[in-house]
Amino acid sequence: MNTRKPVAGEQPAEGPLDVLIIDGEEAFAAACRRTLEHAGFRVATSGTAGQGLALAETRHPGVVLLALELPDMPGAEALGALSRQAPAAVPVVASAHGTVDAAVESMKLGAFDFLAKPVGAEKLVETVRRGLNLSVLRKEAAGPGAAGAQAPDKYDLLLQGLDVLGEAYSLGLEKRQLLDELTWLENEAKYHAESLGQIKKKERVILDIRNDLLESDVIMRRYDFHKNALIQVLLDVQEKFRWLPRHVLNWISGRLNIPVRDIYTIAHFYEAFSLEPRGRHIVQVCTGTACHVRGASELLTRISATLGVKPGETDARQAFTLETVHCIGCCALAPVVQIDSRYHRNPSKSQFEKIIQSLEKEEVDTCPA
Amino acid sequence: MSRIETPADLARLRDQAVARRNSRGTWVAVCAGTGCRAYGAEALAESLEKEVEKRGLGKKIGVRKTGCHGFCERGPLVVVQPSDVCYLGAQPKNVPAIVDKLEGKDAALDKLLYVDAENGKPLARLDEIPFYKHQQRVVLGDNVHIDASDILDYIAVGGYAALAKALSGMTPEEVLQEVKEAKLRGRGGGGFPAGRKWETTRKAPGEPKYVIVNADEGDPGAYMDRSILEGNPHGVLEGLILGAYAIGAGEGFIYVRQEYPLAREHAQKALDQAREYGLLGENILGSGFSFDVKIHRGAGAFVSGESSALMSAIEGHVGEPRPKYIHTSEKGVWGKPSCLNNVETWANVPHIINRGAEWFTGMGTEGSKGTKIFSLVGKVNNTGLVEVPMGITLRDIIFKIGGGVPGGKKFKAVQTGGPSGGVIPESMLDLPVDFDELTRVGSMMGSGGMIVMDENTCMVDTARYYMSFLAHESCGKCVPCREGTRQMLRILDRIVAGEGKEEDLAVLEELGDFMEDASLCALGQSAPFPVLSTLKYFRGEYEEHIREKRCRAGVCTPLIAYDIDQETCGKCGACLRACPVAAVDQSADKVFTILQEKCIKCGACFTACPEKFSAVIKVPAYAIGKPSAGNPPPAGKQV
Amino acid sequence: MKNVTLEIDGRTVEAGEGTTLLKAAQSVGIRIPTLCNDDRLEPYGGCRMCMVEIETSWGRKRLVASCVYPVEEGLRVQTNTERVRRIRRMIIELLWPSSQVYAEEYGVTGSRFEPGLTDCSLCGLCLRYCTEIKKENRIYFEGRGIERRPALVEGSELTCRACGECFTLCGSGWIASRC
Ligand SMILES: Cc1cc2nc3c(=O)[nH]c(=O)nc-3n(C[C@H](O)[C@H](O)[C@H](O)COP(=O)(O)O)c2cc1C
Ligand code: FES
Repeated sequence: MNTRKPVAGEQPAEGPLDVLIIDGEEAFAAACRRTLEHAGFRVATSGTAGQGLALAETRHPGVVLLALELPDMPGAEALGALSRQAPAAVPVVASAHGTVDAAVESMKLGAFDFLAKPVGAEKLVETVRRGLNLSVLRKEAAGPGAAGAQAPDKYDLLLQGLDVLGEAYSLGLEKRQLLDELTWLENEAKYHAESLGQIKKKERVILDIRNDLLESDVIMRRYDFHKNALIQVLLDVQEKFRWLPRHVLNWISGRLNIPVRDIYTIAHFYEAFSLEPRGRHIVQVCTGTACHVRGASELLTRISATLGVKPGETDARQAFTLETVHCIGCCALAPVVQIDSRYHRNPSKSQFEKIIQSLEKEEVDTCPA
Repeated sequence: MSRIETPADLARLRDQAVARRNSRGTWVAVCAGTGCRAYGAEALAESLEKEVEKRGLGKKIGVRKTGCHGFCERGPLVVVQPSDVCYLGAQPKNVPAIVDKLEGKDAALDKLLYVDAENGKPLARLDEIPFYKHQQRVVLGDNVHIDASDILDYIAVGGYAALAKALSGMTPEEVLQEVKEAKLRGRGGGGFPAGRKWETTRKAPGEPKYVIVNADEGDPGAYMDRSILEGNPHGVLEGLILGAYAIGAGEGFIYVRQEYPLAREHAQKALDQAREYGLLGENILGSGFSFDVKIHRGAGAFVSGESSALMSAIEGHVGEPRPKYIHTSEKGVWGKPSCLNNVETWANVPHIINRGAEWFTGMGTEGSKGTKIFSLVGKVNNTGLVEVPMGITLRDIIFKIGGGVPGGKKFKAVQTGGPSGGVIPESMLDLPVDFDELTRVGSMMGSGGMIVMDENTCMVDTARYYMSFLAHESCGKCVPCREGTRQMLRILDRIVAGEGKEEDLAVLEELGDFMEDASLCALGQSAPFPVLSTLKYFRGEYEEHIREKRCRAGVCTPLIAYDIDQETCGKCGACLRACPVAAVDQSADKVFTILQEKCIKCGACFTACPEKFSAVIKVPAYAIGKPSAGNPPPAGKQV
Repeated sequence: MKNVTLEIDGRTVEAGEGTTLLKAAQSVGIRIPTLCNDDRLEPYGGCRMCMVEIETSWGRKRLVASCVYPVEEGLRVQTNTERVRRIRRMIIELLWPSSQVYAEEYGVTGSRFEPGLTDCSLCGLCLRYCTEIKKENRIYFEGRGIERRPALVEGSELTCRACGECFTLCGSGWIASRC
């Protein structure tokens, strides 16, 4: 990958970069650069988001180490701009405010990892190395001819594979095991693509899965990877993904050392969990007693007919899932339907249609093409 | 903001909090409970704030978003303090007039006032409105006065005084003794004496000990616990800390169902604030007593509210009840002594410590002391949350407070105790509400759901409803509960479909007795009650379904059909527009008819038909499709 | 371990503290019918076939599942009263045909009910054996209430066929039919 070892302290003037550091904190940026150059990466730094983004566009860095606190732009915004202007670059966010919220927020915006300042040298190098691996995949996925993507040749990939294998060995994993795990991931990827009903490029699905697993790691970290927190972890996963994807459950099983069987038992037992993808909007008709005596079943029949789905089903466009729920604690308004987080008292057919339309319109407004 | 180290610090903080409240002469309390939010209370509060700001009244008038006031039927609710004038159903468009009135100007606000049903006169003040007048609000009382997200509001109205009193002047034994003497019984359903349970846990060997709040509120049709936890989370927390002190517990849990996001949010905020002020955590109020609390979310299962199942869930296992020959109060979470009480039970504790057992036993009946909160819902005019002294009659609750049955319909029965309870017919309305009395007539107090039913409610359908709920909510482990509910549900399904058999009723009773005897946990043991009690008091309705294939309430869809009475039809077409499946047909000369084979019986046309025509009618299903000559003439609008 | 003395069907029985009523009865040759019990496994208390009537030393009477209820000093136990037999007859009917082994003894010739699942009585024997003895964790219950049914973790079929130890525990054939 890196043919020329730059002299430490000198900004490489041209050619593709391994790492771009965008951080207004000069001392931190310099320290990171030294560490990374020492590890053999080509690194450039920039003190502002403006300059940094321009560099990212022309120099195609593999990894961008981005501070959340920047002099000229909020970090979150810079993160968004980066993913638009240099989609192949893998963003790693660094912040002095290492709260879980900030971490989760950045991950949501597409950050690959989150580093809380101060950052240890080892951790930094390790994260960048993982990020670069991913960026190779991304550039590949973007296809030949994608700007600046240097398709790594076969030998580069073999070397990378050996790198990974070496790390696996040092973790005490055998090659067989590693292959097993990788095959498993690949199987999950296929299943995932199928169960979502979306035919995606395999590379894309694998990246999705990787992100899913990272996200579930973030969730488990909230509970210190405690076994007892399983139900809480699953609730968070459900909230995050709107269902419990199989690969995530398997991952959690390995991470928390809980048999998959126990996880499935719980996932099937509680109302809150869904083992199938749910729609973007959840329509819950309350069938609690108060609603029942005030005509919930008529309301349900009406809504079901209007949406064209039966309770428990999702429409073909994955837009609406219709469910029934036993009491949402709004009994005085009976009968009630909860659509996403809002409650509606006994809407007539036309009122309901209006609500549905406005939700769909919102979606069109907020989704870029 | 600093840690409170001593009771004196707390008193000083209270003075500051009170001064802050008094700095404004008038407060507008907008109910921001879940019910009122659904009516747009948040927008209302925002526009009130803006209006006050715009007129430069910010220093005189404050706007406070509070917890549930209880009169959910008429939300969003606004109460002006200190005058206690109450506006019902206020909308942002009413805001200028409300603020005019606050400024002392004339404003026409009569439309927002409660109107006395008897003489048509408006009643302005909270304590004049019958819904509130006959209540005795101990636990719910503070809801109107505090913003749940602000601990200082709670402190200002006397919050944490009981804790300071206990920690600085009472031994744990004395706190326990006070609760025992108050004869407080559990509000979660069973009515077990709280003091005795605390004592068992206190004495049980094993450390650490746990105290737990049961906010799973699985009873469909009840929302007391939700409103307490949303509206006054510190009240529950203070009770829990007091309990922990009395029992000697170092850790607590609040188990709250995930369907209640706002309750969870407020409880979390309360914990954070209490910790910040040193009312939770290490060395509380400098007393040397340490205690902390975690929130655990329930993932939605009625049976998870049962004590052993709940504790199993806290450990991260599936929430199935365990055979319980040793009580959870002795061996609960992780095999340690664990005291579980309902939200309302805990919320009563600070009041008992503050005012003493004698004050508490001054309310209620011999066996049941204090007050109880009910969620008064169903076919009643004033739905909402009501807190009444034990011993009040059902009639008073339903007619004096609830304002009776709407639309001039006839009262039929009231259901209490949720899925484990039963129905109580009109003849027993003078029954005093008390744990033992309700059990005696085949129902139970339960957690406080009170569902009023009128002549349009079918008792067989109600029984079927509960049975279907229980059959799906049972954990399914033991045979009597799983198979018993399965077979009972099948029989009831047959009966409401008009396919019941004469011998079905005896089989229902036989299954019921069997389940009561043989089930593993209280869910199965009490599962037959809704069926048995309807069978006891409304057997005739069952027989009508079986013998005559008739549902007199017009509820059981297989037994009814919708039809249009051509004589009264105003030809407005409302039914046609409302039908979701195009089952209303319009002929060239504007004759509307219902295509029975398309009709899904959703009732949309029935609701849509203007009152003045009332042309869409329910008729017995057997009357449809016969040659018209033989048709029994529809007896007006049946329902 | 301390010993406890109690009375079962009129006979005085001595048993170690913590023993279940079922084991205490078996130790003196009194047979109590069971469907979900296996001596190698933790007591479960699901089928309720083993219900017996007890009367405590302070005179409280009730029905308990003998496979989970521990012996108590001075307890009086009756294992075959009419009330108990009525419960057992109902269980046999409800689980028909899985429960036919006891049909004759209790004079049940058929059932008035359609069974929930035809090939499984949800006794949990296979599941518990797999978890407690084999530590394989391959079987679980899916859903709750009347929706409860057994399920196999995906991709277990081969492993399960190779082991097969739980097949003999199953009175209704569900597990064998899946592998
Ligand atoms: C099936 C079942 C569901 C229950 N659900 C609840 C519930 O939602 N909330 C509650 O407080 N108690 C519930 N209980 C009662 C609890 O088991 C327990 O008795 C109660 O929380 C103890 O508190 P208390 O003594 O303060 O009433 C339930 C019991 C059963 C058998
Ligand atoms: S043997 Fe099944 S419950 Fe006791």
